[in-house]
Amino acid sequence: MTETVLQTQGLTKYYGSTLAVDHLDLKIPRGSICGFVGRNGAGKTTAIKLMLGLLRPTAGSSRLLGCDSAALTPAIRQRIGYVTEGHRLFRWMSINELQKFQRAFFPKQWDDKLFADMIEYFNLPRKRKIKHLSNGERAQVSLALTLAPNPELLIMDDPTLGLDAAIRRQFLEGMIELIMRQGRTVLFSSHILGDVERVSDRIVVIDKGVLRANCSLEEFRAAVKKVILSFADSPPAEVDIDGMLHCRRSENDLELILVGPADEQIAEWAKKNRAQKYQIVKMNLEDQFIEFTAPANHRRLFQWEDK
Amino acid sequence: MRFSALLRKELRESLPWMLLAAIIFLAIGGFALRQAQLYGRYDWSERDFSSGSFTGSYGLQYRRSPLQLIGIILLLTSIGLGLVLGVRHFWIPYFTRTWPFLIHRSVNRSTIFWAKLAAAIISFLISVGAIWVALYSYSCDPERFTMLPIKRVFIEGWLFILLGLIVYLGTALTALSTARWYTTKIFSLAFATVIICAVMFEWRLSWAFAAIIIGAAILLSQINYTILNREF
Repeated sequence: MTETVLQTQGLTKYYGSTLAVDHLDLKIPRGSICGFVGRNGAGKTTAIKLMLGLLRPTAGSSRLLGCDSAALTPAIRQRIGYVTEGHRLFRWMSINELQKFQRAFFPKQWDDKLFADMIEYFNLPRKRKIKHLSNGERAQVSLALTLAPNPELLIMDDPTLGLDAAIRRQFLEGMIELIMRQGRTVLFSSHILGDVERVSDRIVVIDKGVLRANCSLEEFRAAVKKVILSFADSPPAEVDIDGMLHCRRSENDLELILVGPADEQIAEWAKKNRAQKYQIVKMNLEDQFIEFTAPANHRRLFQWEDK
Repeated sequence: MRFSALLRKELRESLPWMLLAAIIFLAIGGFALRQAQLYGRYDWSERDFSSGSFTGSYGLQYRRSPLQLIGIILLLTSIGLGLVLGVRHFWIPYFTRTWPFLIHRSVNRSTIFWAKLAAAIISFLISVGAIWVALYSYSCDPERFTMLPIKRVFIEGWLFILLGLIVYLGTALTALSTARWYTTKIFSLAFATVIICAVMFEWRLSWAFAAIIIGAAILLSQINYTILNREF
């Protein structure tokens, strides 16, 4: 049986009357690389902070490496790497000073060679102060600091936010360095679905604080479908197909966003409702995510009328 | 090792303020003492007060104790240093958003607080404490001053330094407070002010020290509770 390294049960957080995380039930098995995705304000940062015991849940609980998040011991924290949102580090410290500071907390597990290799790979000036580094450089320092202690579980809060494509790629390659080591688990939140697709084997989708998906990336890719059906006259008024998320109508066409149904089921429904033709449109992960998390009454920002 | 890493970090962050406080206290305190040294040698009864250059009470103060003049400067410097260090240690991390990084270190949260407090105590000892001792030693020289300070003045100086630490703790608790209203937030600073007033108006040194110890114990227990349970 696969060991669970991260588990939440009914994890809920209110800020005053605002619900940020709503009964989050999550299990992340050891060795998985999990992309934690959601729109802005979906509750990703709050969920991560709850998992790390930086916030107190209003209800529910969470466990990291078998320890209650509300009472993470220093020994458990030592096994968890955490990259904060925006890579907030002590601005007055140089990279060398930060290395010394961080190493003190990992006396046995700190890998000086790995840190030096990463700093060299990223071509970072060791004596330069953090405040004089660019966003991308800060992200790279942050990653090197987090990977050098060789953490069992790495949690990263939007680590590639604001980075350009080249730096993002370097950052992800650095991440892969850790992933290559056996038994390491990574949970990283991101807006950039391309990054998730590149490194993750698992996807967790959160929307308005509610967990919408927690499955392997292949399952998600296979499950979310866009189907366009064409009819001789107007499409049926009611669409009673399993797993329907959205239904958009035009004159004779019907565009359906579906989660789950097999292609045969779609074909059967199309036949039953006398569709002239139907087409299952291949979507990339970003489109799938946007459709999956779009509100039911979602409209386009700009709507042009055909003339 | 972990505590010393935290302590070094906090000391480094306190360093500019420690130096500033030391320079201010040394400059003003040293100047005042030098003035006392220069003018305190005169016998005031021989002075011509009609010129308006010296008032009677001014001359009298010099004759009572040159070091006493510096007491108020020490108190103000200590309070200022307490405020600044409290803000630097506990408030600035909110603005720089470094609390989550710090809290996720492999130490107990209370260790982080004790490292900050240790850095504050060291800062007080170096910047105002050491200079106070130096100024006291300087003013004890009968070659320089006709009126030597009594020990009580020296001890009062340490009371003022401790009051600075009380202000530091009050500022820390204010910064850590999760109260929604600012009036509630500054309650602990108001409490520190009450302790200052109690000490200033208490003539008996033992009672003054007791007030400081009780005040510090209340603030410390509250800070410890808050830092253990607070969200970051």
